[in-house]
Amino acid sequence: MIWAILLFAVLASLFGVGYYLNSKTPKPEGCKELTEDCEGCKITSCELNPSRKEKL
Amino acid sequence: MKLLSMAIAAVLINNIVLAKFLGVCPFLGVSKNSKSAIGMGLAVIFVIFSASMLTYGVQYLILKPLGIEYMQLISFILIIAAFVQFVEMFMKKNMPGLYASLGVYLPLITTNCTVLYVAQDNISKGYNLIETIVNSIATPLGFLVVMYLFSCIRERLDYATTPKPFKGNPIGLIVAGLMALAFAGLAGIA
Repeated sequence: MIWAILLFAVLASLFGVGYYLNSKTPKPEGCKELTEDCEGCKITSCELNPSRKEKL
Repeated sequence: MKLLSMAIAAVLINNIVLAKFLGVCPFLGVSKNSKSAIGMGLAVIFVIFSASMLTYGVQYLILKPLGIEYMQLISFILIIAAFVQFVEMFMKKNMPGLYASLGVYLPLITTNCTVLYVAQDNISKGYNLIETIVNSIATPLGFLVVMYLFSCIRERLDYATTPKPFKGNPIGLIVAGLMALAFAGLAGIA
């Protein structure tokens, strides 16, 4: 049980650190206005979903 | 021969989109033009292959020796999500050209259930490392093939005289259904 908790903690921290570092990393020149032609589906958690852009 | 048969089955017969009905969101969302479809398909191949290798290692080097196989699902989800974050960061810093062409698809891949399916399929079917490599390349290759075919059809549909209620996604879903029927006809090749 302790190994399971430890593994979960390590992987969750890894994801948290990755997410934080990725959000802090600036996009390269010329890529700031990259847009996707996705029209959106029912997965509102997806970053490309138009509903998220409307909120921003 | 067994590996070739497995690859053909993964690409054509047990196609991830048309037979398993997974990854339908990017299949419909990013198939308006063939260039986007190829970009998305290539990004999916890279992420599925890398994520499968990572999860295979975690399964047989950590989960199984420690007797915590019940952590497989949550571990794989976290590994895939973390991996995509690091890949995106690496591409932003070191490969701006590649990021410009593929980076925009990475957030969409995080929510793509095919990545998790392939990772779990490799374990549940008891594949060895070579079989895992073949399956992890062939399955997303099937996704790429279908995405490209579908995008080419949709490009032509823009110029077709489709009845107004069927324009856009409705006719896309009808085409996808016909493609699924066509692919079902390939059963028995492998």
